Amino acid sequence: MLHIHDLHKSYGAVKALDGCTFVANRGRMLGFLGPNGAGKTTAMRTIFGLVTPDQGTVTWDGVTVSHEERMRFGYMPESRGLYPKMKVFDQLTYFGRLHGMSGNEAGKAASELLERLGLADRAHDQTEKLSHGNQQRVQLAAALVNEPELLVLDEPFSGLDPIGVATLAEVLAERAEGGAAVVFSSHQLDLVEDLCEDVVIIRQGRVVQTGTVEEIKDASPVRHLEIELADGLAPGLDGLEEFVSAREGNRIYLQVPAEIDVRPLMSGALATGSVRRFVYTTPSLSEIFLQAVK
Amino acid sequence: MTNLWLVTRRELRERGRSKGFIISSVLTVAILLGIILIPQALGGDAATFEIGAVGEGNEQIVEAARQFEAGLAADEETEPDVFEVTEFSTAEEGEASLRRGDVEVLLIDGTSAVVAQQGFGGNEVVDRLQQAAGASRLQELMAENEQVASEVVEVLSNDPLEVRSLSGPGSDNADSSVIAYAGLVLLYIAILTYGNTVLTGVTEEKNNRVVEVLLATLQPWQMLGGKVLGIGILGLAQFALTMAAAFAAIRITGVVSLPAFDLQTVGVLVLWFLIGFGIYAALYAAAGSLTSRTEDAQSAALPMTMLAVVGFFVSFSVLDDPSSLVARITTFIPFTAGFVVPIRNSLGAISWAEHALAVVVALGAIVLLVVLAARIYAGGLLRFGSRVRIKDAWRAGD
Repeated sequence: MLHIHDLHKSYGAVKALDGCTFVANRGRMLGFLGPNGAGKTTAMRTIFGLVTPDQGTVTWDGVTVSHEERMRFGYMPESRGLYPKMKVFDQLTYFGRLHGMSGNEAGKAASELLERLGLADRAHDQTEKLSHGNQQRVQLAAALVNEPELLVLDEPFSGLDPIGVATLAEVLAERAEGGAAVVFSSHQLDLVEDLCEDVVIIRQGRVVQTGTVEEIKDASPVRHLEIELADGLAPGLDGLEEFVSAREGNRIYLQVPAEIDVRPLMSGALATGSVRRFVYTTPSLSEIFLQAVK
Repeated sequence: MTNLWLVTRRELRERGRSKGFIISSVLTVAILLGIILIPQALGGDAATFEIGAVGEGNEQIVEAARQFEAGLAADEETEPDVFEVTEFSTAEEGEASLRRGDVEVLLIDGTSAVVAQQGFGGNEVVDRLQQAAGASRLQELMAENEQVASEVVEVLSNDPLEVRSLSGPGSDNADSSVIAYAGLVLLYIAILTYGNTVLTGVTEEKNNRVVEVLLATLQPWQMLGGKVLGIGILGLAQFALTMAAAFAAIRITGVVSLPAFDLQTVGVLVLWFLIGFGIYAALYAAAGSLTSRTEDAQSAALPMTMLAVVGFFVSFSVLDDPSSLVARITTFIPFTAGFVVPIRNSLGAISWAEHALAVVVALGAIVLLVVLAARIYAGGLLRFGSRVRIKDAWRAGD
C-alpha cells in the first residue's frame, strides 16, 4: 500500500502541494485527477525522490520510501524520455538492470514485454526509428520491465490513438489484477470512470475528494433524473418543477437533490402506463470533477 | 556501485560503437599517421639543390656546404643531399636561368646570392649556403694559426659553461620535459574534447527528457560519475590507440628520434592526466545539467574552458622557471595542478613531499567537486526550458 501523507512543497510563493494525503492499494487502479497545475506531477515526483517535500512522508507497506523500495516501482513521467539512438531491446534491458535485475532477467522481461506490446520485430531497431505511438509503447515497457509492485504513470493516455488507449488500458488492468498498485493521472475522465476502482481529486495541492468511484458518485449531493412518457402525456412533477434543467420534446431532465425521494414520482409515472424512459442516476465523474475543482 | 558501473557500461557500449566515435578514432589515427609518414615517403631520398655560380670564390662555399651535409648525413645515417653547380659567364645569363627555374639560387663572386623571390620563413638553400659561407670565411681567417682554429671550433661546437642542477645529477632532463610538454598539450586537448563530450552528453539526456526516468532509480552522483568515467575511459582508449599508432609509425620509419623517457615521468603524467580530466569533467557535467539545449551548453561551459586555457598558459611560465612562486602556488590549485605538476616533476623541480601534498589536495578537490557538481546536477536536471542559474540549481539540489 502506498501512503502519501501530508505533503507540502512550495516553489517560492507558489504552493505546489499543500497537505496532500491519499492511499493507493495493491491490486487496484487509482485515477489521480486534478486540473493543470494542481500538483499531480509534483506529488508523483515526490514518490520517486525527484522532488524533496518541505514536509510530509511517502511510505510503501509502512516503510518510508527510499532507493530500495523504488527499485520495485515503475514510473512513466509526463515528459516522455528515452535514449533515441539506443536499440529498443538494449534500452529496456538497461532500465531493467537499473532496477536491480540481472542481465538475463532483464533481457527475458524485455523480450516478453515487447512480444506483449506487439513490438517484437522492432526490438533491434533504434528507438528514434519507431513511430510516435510505438515509442509510447516502449516508454510504457520501460516502466513495466521490472514487474513493479507500484506503477505510477503521469498522463499515460495523452497522445494515444483509440487502439493505443485500449492496449494500454488492458496492460494496466493486467498489472492491477496481478497484484500491483496502479496510479495514473489523466484528464480523460470517462476512461478513469471505466478503468479505475479508486479516485483522488486534487486541487491547489490539496486532495478535495477521495474514495472508490461509486462512493464518490454516491456522495454527490445531486442526482440526474430523466422522464419520458408516450406522446401527448406529461408527468406530474409533484412540486419538483424548480429542478427541471432541460426539456427535449417529451423528455424532461431534472437535477434533484440526492435526499429527495423520487419513488412517488416514479409510481406516478408508472400509473400512466406509458413510461418510455425513467432514469435516476448519480452524476458522471466529469461533473463531479468539475464541481470539486471549481 | 552497481548502478555507477551500469551507467559507465552504457556510455562505453553506446558511445564506443557509435558511428561518430569510430569515425573520429579512425580519422585521428589516419591524420597522425599521415603527418608522420607522408613527409617520410616524399622526403626519403636525398634532395638535389641546383646552384648557379658567376665569378670566382663560389666553389669554397659550395664545398663547405657539401662537407656540412656529409657530416650531418653520416650522423643521421641518410643519403647526403646533392649540391649541383652550373657555371655562368655573366650575371644576366645566371638570372635568366634563375627565372626559368633551372637553378634555385645564383651565387655571385662568393659575396652575394640572388633568389627568384623572397619567401616567408627563408629559403633552405640560402640558409645552408650562409652557414657554409660563414664557415669557409672562418677557415680563411684562421688558416695562419691552426692551434687557434681548433680551439675556436671546440668553443663553437660545445657549451663552454658546465651546468649542474641543485636538484641533483641526471640533469639531462630535456627529454623528460619534452614528454611532459607533450603530455601537457595532450591533456589540454583531452579536457576540451572529452569535457565537451561530457557536457553535450548531459545536456542531451536533459534535452530528450530521459533524465526523469533515470533519476527515479539513480542517484545524481551515479549518473554524473558514470558518465565521466565512461567518457573518460573511452577518451583514454582513443588516446592510447592514437599514441600507440604514432609511436609504432615513428619506430618503424625512424623519422624522428624519440626522446628517452623514464617510467617515473610517464607514470606521473598518466596520474595527473586522470586527475586533471576528472576535475574538469565533473565541472563540465555540472555545466551541462544547467541547460536543456545543446546551443546553450557551450556558453554555460565557457568558464571551464577559460580555466583550462589559463592553466595551459600558466604551465608555459612554469616550463621557464619550474621553481618560481607562480609554479609553487599553481601546484596546489586543482585547476592548474594537472598542467603544472608533471612539468615540475620532469624538470626535477618538485620535492616528494610537495608532490604528495599536491595529489592529496587535487584528490580532495575531486571529491568535493563531485559532491558540489552532483548537487548542481541534481538541482539542474529537472528544470527544463531556459538556462538554470547556478544559485537556483544549488538550492533545488538538496
